[in-house]
Amino acid sequence: MSGLEEFKDELETCFGTSCGFCERGCPVYQTLKIKTLCMRGRNRTMLGLIQGRFEVTPAVVQAAFECTLCGNCDRWCALKNTEHTRAFREYLLEHGVEPMKEHSSIVASIRNYGNPWFQPRSARARWAKGLNIPKASSGQQEVLFFAGCTSAVNKPLNKGLVAGAKLLQKAGIRFATLGQDEPCCGSTLLRVGQKAAFEELVEGNVKRFDELGISRIVTACPGCYTTLKRSLEDRGSKIQVLHLSQEIAQQIRTGRLELRKGREKVTYHDPCHLGRLGGVFEEPREIVKAVAELVEMPNNRYESRCCGAGAGLQSAFPKLSKDLAAKRVAEAKATGAAAIVTSCPFCETQLRTVPGTRVYDLFELIMDSIEGPEGKTGNLGRNRAAQDRSS
Amino acid sequence: MSYVEELVSSLGKEKVLTDPSERFVYGADWSPRTPDEFRPPDVVVLPRTTRDVQRIVKIAFAHEIPVTAGGGLTGMLGGAIALYGGIYIDTTTMNSIVEVDQRNQTVRVQAGATLQEVNDAVNPYDLWLPHQPESKWVSTVGSAIACDNDSTFGVRYGKILNCLLSAEIVTGTGEIIELGHRKAHFTSSGYKLKDLLAGSEGTLGIITEATLKLEPIPASRRVDMLVFPRMGAAVDYLSRLLKAGLCIEAAHINCKRRLRFYAHSYVQKFGKEPEIPAWAEALLAIAFAGDQEVVESQRAYALKIAKEFEALPVEERAIVDAWWASKYTLDFEPFKQKWPDSQKQKKFGAADPGVPVGRLEEFYHKFIHVAEKHKLEIIGMNAYLEHPNSIGFSLSCAVFVDYRDPEEVRRFRMFHDELSRLAVSFEGTMSTFMSDTYQKAPYLELEHGPSLKYMREVKRIFDPKGILNPGKKFPKEEHR
Repeated sequence: MSGLEEFKDELETCFGTSCGFCERGCPVYQTLKIKTLCMRGRNRTMLGLIQGRFEVTPAVVQAAFECTLCGNCDRWCALKNTEHTRAFREYLLEHGVEPMKEHSSIVASIRNYGNPWFQPRSARARWAKGLNIPKASSGQQEVLFFAGCTSAVNKPLNKGLVAGAKLLQKAGIRFATLGQDEPCCGSTLLRVGQKAAFEELVEGNVKRFDELGISRIVTACPGCYTTLKRSLEDRGSKIQVLHLSQEIAQQIRTGRLELRKGREKVTYHDPCHLGRLGGVFEEPREIVKAVAELVEMPNNRYESRCCGAGAGLQSAFPKLSKDLAAKRVAEAKATGAAAIVTSCPFCETQLRTVPGTRVYDLFELIMDSIEGPEGKTGNLGRNRAAQDRSS
Repeated sequence: MSYVEELVSSLGKEKVLTDPSERFVYGADWSPRTPDEFRPPDVVVLPRTTRDVQRIVKIAFAHEIPVTAGGGLTGMLGGAIALYGGIYIDTTTMNSIVEVDQRNQTVRVQAGATLQEVNDAVNPYDLWLPHQPESKWVSTVGSAIACDNDSTFGVRYGKILNCLLSAEIVTGTGEIIELGHRKAHFTSSGYKLKDLLAGSEGTLGIITEATLKLEPIPASRRVDMLVFPRMGAAVDYLSRLLKAGLCIEAAHINCKRRLRFYAHSYVQKFGKEPEIPAWAEALLAIAFAGDQEVVESQRAYALKIAKEFEALPVEERAIVDAWWASKYTLDFEPFKQKWPDSQKQKKFGAADPGVPVGRLEEFYHKFIHVAEKHKLEIIGMNAYLEHPNSIGFSLSCAVFVDYRDPEEVRRFRMFHDELSRLAVSFEGTMSTFMSDTYQKAPYLELEHGPSLKYMREVKRIFDPKGILNPGKKFPKEEHR
């Protein structure tokens, strides 16, 4: 039975119910207003396909891939819609559909370089230069800090990782990284329908973690967080996976990190993978509230709207992707916040594509609070000046 | 040039969907229809303006092609199904808010705006559109008018027609006309053609814009549930509340079985059925809204009078909250929304008759009998008060239907038709919130008698070629 057949009962339920509650929060549907590109329509397309009512056409492929897998539809449903869509993509690839050319190159990059960014493996460790972080070795570390490829190989995002590592050091946590040998978590493969490649990758990763005696992984990337957590749990692993915000919030609670609160008003954007799909909502907010004034967007926590970067949308449907980012930024600006804080490198990059937007990495914000000159420009002052210069 | 080519040429290819998979998506609503009955439209169009709709209808008129307009596709009886194929107009692409007039408390919208989108737009002005069906997130203004669906707050504000001041339509010839009285609340001038749109199912014209009356948002609301030994006792109690001069905002009588369905989120949360006294046959959910002091005093008076009717308030708030979440707030636990979760095996199917207020209990027992006779699993009955400040019910007589089983769908239709006919014999009406669609079309004369001839003439004036949503209200051949 194919992955799609496995969900046939759910597809029938959706067809029978037809409530359409998924439409209200779907960022793609709310932008394009085409029912084939919302979950109710996508479920119908899958059902029609496996019932043999029509063949695979470009419109079917579009229905499968023009989605960020943000999970907003799941919040308003009782069905596993995001899983359906993943299975839909896998089904199409298994049935002779060529991967979208943008996705093919990403997959090739992951195979060749261990990241989807066409960056050499050596680029993976550059961010940590000068930080004296040991490389993981068998049984020697309390925590494996899994940097994630996006922040590691994209220089403008390095600051968040550096801040995260420094925070762990300040809190006295004995951690290590895998340096340039850090593998891909597989998130991108999973989300563009490359299940076989994903499974192969995960098998290797789990083996490696076990050999190193890892008991806890802390990652700064929400995509890595949900992918590692789920894939390890699915394999019965006892390795605990945390997002860095969870680890840092705990250190703040126990007084191992002391922060200085500023007066700046910021809003927090929940990354889909960390929030709705990962269930981590409050720890990032605890952190933000410790250093700034938090003002919420109307769509927050489970209802947070996707930035538009996820699941291959950014590469394959760039215009739509940018439209989604602009919508989210407009929502943030309407709150009167001076900046958007987020805890995902994808969201950070994506939201920054909207002109005139200030976006900060959560951990950078904390470091600024710890290291920033007291009584000067406040927590965001230095960051703001830096972004102003870069723009 | 074929009509599809003309559509593409006139609207642009991005507004015309012809792929079989795309047409399949627009071919079904919530009504129980078997897979064999499924027929998608031949082409789906996504207009943005009234002019777009006019172009579509003119092409359809020239080629004599059926045109069916739809909104959220949550209809329960197939009203927006393109029964004879042709063109399906998805009006949800026309969802602009044209004007919010705060001083005059009105809003002008494109007809494809969902009821929620309208309320999102007017909320900053401390106003709301009180027409609130459970499908409000998806149901559009145009489809609410064309289907004449229910509202949670009908006993205070009525149905959509009570909110509708004016509407723009495109007739079956492609003419654009405005029906109504601008921003005035009522008129004594001319024939009230605007009122014909309520429940018209897109058979007279395609609604493209509407001017709606808004209301100030009440500052507070209290919702309670009371249990009664009989349905009739709940009716008598409501009559007494109105006599007392109370301003009820929402009133819904549920039979005991139906509570179980509406309290789905309670069952999910607590893992048990809501406990109500064994003697209770009816539950009344009732709301008051306004300034807190007024609400509290009206509520206290209502609860005091309840004792005279052998009624007891439901003390467990979680039951009331679960019901209200299902009915109005839609504030379900994440990943546990009621509708898909409660319809995993079979889907919801209903008849929607209306009966005189004094015969509700008698009709309830008939409903149970008819459902059992047709071997359908009973969900239960609700009576929603839908007329402002009076006891006017719409009835939802609901059962589960396996739409994949043609025999069960056939039995459901017999059940539906039998209750519809029974309601007329009870001096009532066949339909109160789903309209006639194709289902009641064959026997509409039973309710309307010789006046049906005049209805056909009205249809002919608006749609001389019978291209607008054929098969609805009248069987297709009767259009001409």
